[in-house]
Amino acid sequence: MTGWLTAHVQACARALQRLAAQPVGSVLSVLVIGIAISLPLGLYLLFTNVSAAASRVNTDPNFNIYMSLDAGEVDVRELEKRIKALPNLGSVRFISKDAALADMRRVPSLKDLMASLEGNPLPHAFSIRPSSADAGALATIRAELNRLPKVDRVVMDFEWAEKLRRFATFAERLVMLIGLVLGLAVVFVTGNTIRLQILTQREEIEVSQLIGATRRFVRRPFLYFGAAQGLLAGTVAVIFISVLVSWVGKELLALTASYGSEFALQAPGLELILLVICVSAFLGWLGALLSVAMYLYRSR
Amino acid sequence: MIVLENAGKRYPGGFEALKAVTATIQKGEMVAITGRSGAGKSTFLKLAAGIELPTQGTVMVNGQNIGSLKEAGLAVLRRNLGLVFQDHKLLFDRTVFENVSLPLEIAAYSRAEIGKRVRASLDKVGLLNREKSRPIMLSGGEQQRLCIARAIVNRPSILIADEPTGNLDQEYAAHIIELLKSFNQVGVTVVLSTHDETGLARLNCRRITLEQGVVLE
Repeated sequence: MTGWLTAHVQACARALQRLAAQPVGSVLSVLVIGIAISLPLGLYLLFTNVSAAASRVNTDPNFNIYMSLDAGEVDVRELEKRIKALPNLGSVRFISKDAALADMRRVPSLKDLMASLEGNPLPHAFSIRPSSADAGALATIRAELNRLPKVDRVVMDFEWAEKLRRFATFAERLVMLIGLVLGLAVVFVTGNTIRLQILTQREEIEVSQLIGATRRFVRRPFLYFGAAQGLLAGTVAVIFISVLVSWVGKELLALTASYGSEFALQAPGLELILLVICVSAFLGWLGALLSVAMYLYRSR
Repeated sequence: MIVLENAGKRYPGGFEALKAVTATIQKGEMVAITGRSGAGKSTFLKLAAGIELPTQGTVMVNGQNIGSLKEAGLAVLRRNLGLVFQDHKLLFDRTVFENVSLPLEIAAYSRAEIGKRVRASLDKVGLLNREKSRPIMLSGGEQQRLCIARAIVNRPSILIADEPTGNLDQEYAAHIIELLKSFNQVGVTVVLSTHDETGLARLNCRRITLEQGVVLE
């Protein structure tokens, strides 16, 4: 156990010495890998922030039925009766043309427009929430609503939410794909750095093997080197993205506040930071493992 | 103990460096492998050191059949041997101390133990005052002694030296021969290859003479 620990401590020390021996090269490699990791991390953060904002929006299916402008009180009662008789409906809410106008008058940006109106151009409307989200059932309800008297237009208000959900799924997959591609890039960049390390230390490796070094002994410092490089690159990526979020986030908050929203970019949390650093260290380790394995296989 | 039983070595391409050689080297013995260039001396030593594997017959080192050992087993076997190479195989970007400490790092010795053993080893070959030098700053004889220091630092029971006096002048060669004899006197089995007759006379040990891969006597 002591020998095993000593071997690892010595290998780790050798790896750190090699990193420190070429400061410029090491810093450049760490920066290249760090920037490669920053991109998927930044996209992931953006995606999670937008998803969190989108999740606060009600995406349940909803129908808005606009009556014709000449519809009167009797028509409204008749339509309400016939709507409530339809199957698969949850709640039915009536919005009178006067209530809709009053709502619009409360919106400050519409104040001038409202002042210029001579009468009320808005129709009576019903807001209906179906009890089923099944696409077939919704299409049937829509067709039945369209057939009712004094109905001018039926709008399914959830279609945009469905589009948003699909876009979110697409964005999630895109982030995963970019993450995968750049993860592979990290493996290759680390692998190439290790390959160059091996070339400069080929003589030492050969002599070591001649006097009793196992492949494990040869491999170990390179694995520590790769992992250390990945760990540093992950840390660089986290710092870079945190600074970026802090810098852009303030402006974004001010911008969205002017539109009456409270959307703010959230910086990566501790769990995400640790995950990124660990994954980055693992990718560095993997790159080193592949590179040394290829060298040892060729040199058999 | 090293035992070669009908051991042969044919390299890829067909060249047969060693042909069905049978030889036994007893524990504590000092044996010189002699013969002209290309007779198979280096191949004999490489088989004895587990650096090459026989393509026929068996080679037993300290009771282990090297042909049946896997890569890790061969590495451990070599770790317990002292190897002196014809071309020294020194690391010129490392100091004298670091060159000698390499086998101990491989065997995962502690820093304190490494320091103690390396200095003892350098003292034995007379290079203690050069521990911080680079090998390039040493003479040919000193480089050979450095190679011997690295070979004995892990206190091996068998020392295998390929042409340890090759390319050295008489004075340096005599020094190396005396050094090898001193190790043998404390019980280390020494197997060396040489074609230096003066050195052989000084060694005064058993010879195994090879001629075109075959033992002559």
